[in-house]
Amino acid sequence: MSDILIAVLRSGTPLIYVALAGMLAQRAGVWHLGLEGLMIAGACAAAVGVEQTGSVAAGLALAVLVCVLGSTLLWFVVEKLRANPIIAGLGLTGLGLGGADLTVQSIYGSEASVTAGAGLPRLGDAFGAFGVLSVLVAAMPVVVLLLWVLLRRTRFGLRLAACGEHPFAARSVGVAPSRMRLIALMGGGVLCALGGAELALGTLQLFSNNMTAGRGFMAFAAVIFGGGHPIGSALAALFFSIVEAAGIKAQLVFGEKAPRDLLLALPYLATVIGVWISGRLRGGLKAAASGGELRDN
Amino acid sequence: MSRYQSSAPTSTALLSRRHVLQGSAVLAFGAAGLSSSGARAAGGLVALVHTQAAGDNGPVDSMIAALKRLSSEKGFTMRAIYAQDAATYESIFRSLGDAGAAIVVSTFNEVADPIKAVAPSYPKTKFIQLFADPFQPAIPNVETVGYDYYLGCYLSGLFASRISKSGKIGYVGGMSLPALNADLNGLKAGAAAANPAIAVTGAFAGSFQDPAKGQEIASQMYQSGVDYIQTDSAATDTGIIQAANEGSGRMVSAIAKTQYKLGPKTVAAIVKLDFGLSLYQEVSKALEAGWIGHHLPTGIDTGVVDFELSDVFLKEGPADLVAKAKTIWPEIETAKKAIITGTVKVPLNTTL
Repeated sequence: MSDILIAVLRSGTPLIYVALAGMLAQRAGVWHLGLEGLMIAGACAAAVGVEQTGSVAAGLALAVLVCVLGSTLLWFVVEKLRANPIIAGLGLTGLGLGGADLTVQSIYGSEASVTAGAGLPRLGDAFGAFGVLSVLVAAMPVVVLLLWVLLRRTRFGLRLAACGEHPFAARSVGVAPSRMRLIALMGGGVLCALGGAELALGTLQLFSNNMTAGRGFMAFAAVIFGGGHPIGSALAALFFSIVEAAGIKAQLVFGEKAPRDLLLALPYLATVIGVWISGRLRGGLKAAASGGELRDN
Repeated sequence: MSRYQSSAPTSTALLSRRHVLQGSAVLAFGAAGLSSSGARAAGGLVALVHTQAAGDNGPVDSMIAALKRLSSEKGFTMRAIYAQDAATYESIFRSLGDAGAAIVVSTFNEVADPIKAVAPSYPKTKFIQLFADPFQPAIPNVETVGYDYYLGCYLSGLFASRISKSGKIGYVGGMSLPALNADLNGLKAGAAAANPAIAVTGAFAGSFQDPAKGQEIASQMYQSGVDYIQTDSAATDTGIIQAANEGSGRMVSAIAKTQYKLGPKTVAAIVKLDFGLSLYQEVSKALEAGWIGHHLPTGIDTGVVDFELSDVFLKEGPADLVAKAKTIWPEIETAKKAIITGTVKVPLNTTL
């Protein structure tokens, strides 16, 4: 049982961090489709940073810097250049994927992968079988809880929600929605960096092109599935990881009897079903259909 | 460093990426500095159009290195062009034909249709497709090269069956494609030949570039008692080797010698497919007068496809497993000879 739990936590943690980033943006009124790009950028920067400096802290810092800059760019394009946030987010995803390829190629003359040589600190023997997990896995529930407190129990959180739901009302009481969105997106950048770093340095200690493999989009789906709630989004991301682990298990157990392609598609099928259920329960589809942006002027 | 690449990408990430990077292959092609003057340099132009990224420590790097070596030996101009997007393959081949390229080499099944579309229009350009099925009908200026990789997997299965302590072995492929299905079936046949009671578990990651998924699958396999995994999934392999490194008594048979360093104590062997050697051999032949296009099946008697024990593992692996591997190896050599002489027939089965 602990083996399955470890597998779920290992695959779910990067997804949860990135889903939290999407949730922050969504609370501020931005449907963040750049999560995939920021995640791959974070993974690439973390691995390159560690490989170049030998320091995991430096790798993490570089990942945070890159992702925050990417988030700021998204904010600038959406808020200052008045671009549609969904299109801008997709552009950011393309920039992240292409930029990571270009970075690896220009630094190493290689187009495929970077071996970091070191990874995030592990929990260690004191945690028994869970000792193989990284410290970011242990930090994840704390981050979820802190975000819940921040969004639900502080003035900042209420203002952020107001900016997302009723920007006109927020502006009428002196809150600048644009600034709040910048803060939310930058915070999301930090979380994407952590998600990317966990993916690249958690246990693998390497970066490989396209290694996010659609996880950023699944994180976006988790935000919708989770109703834009920090705990809901985290649980949704965890659910996707459980389905993925179950899909692998099903392949190993029923691989000879069931169509393998169907078993491989299980996580994506669960994503679609999850989003559909969420839409039915929370009116998420209606919100998405509105164009994905809330303008206050 | 995949041997294979799906012609139908399934990832949503790939979908979005395609839009953004639509013209990148064409731009890369232009940046390569291809010109008609270069094309008409001494010995003509020989171009390698690779559909997977270089820097893979595997097939693409070995092909580029082999082409460079041959270029310096024979005095022709060479270009290596990375074609990322399937939509650009045909235009790249056509541009090379227009530039008067003498030989165009490319890889994997996804370039088959573009070559079929372009080759008849450029009869003076010789096209070589590595890792290909035969063209029906054949085209006079096209050589297709197939590899009996499944025979290497058969030998790996034989070896695994003998060295496994648990009696459970595994296989992790990138995607369920006919060629990879044949590899899994080859592994099963080899394992069963040595021990009919052996349990073989097969799984596919759904991607050749997802080491995290590879690690998850391999971890679950090892936890279920499997102690030997044959990889067949390119960059995803790295995660499988990482999972092997996390426990004792776990072994991997990988696909390239460059993977030895990733698991010196766990990567016991490789089922090798030397693309560089294959390219060197076929381009050398195509440079000769009288070359005519054909299909070339490549077996384990050519040195291109083989099953090899890791010299790094023999030095650094667990003593008991190393000793056992050395004891088993003569049997593998005997089986290899039997396949080459035809005494042992390994069926090619591409369905699961």
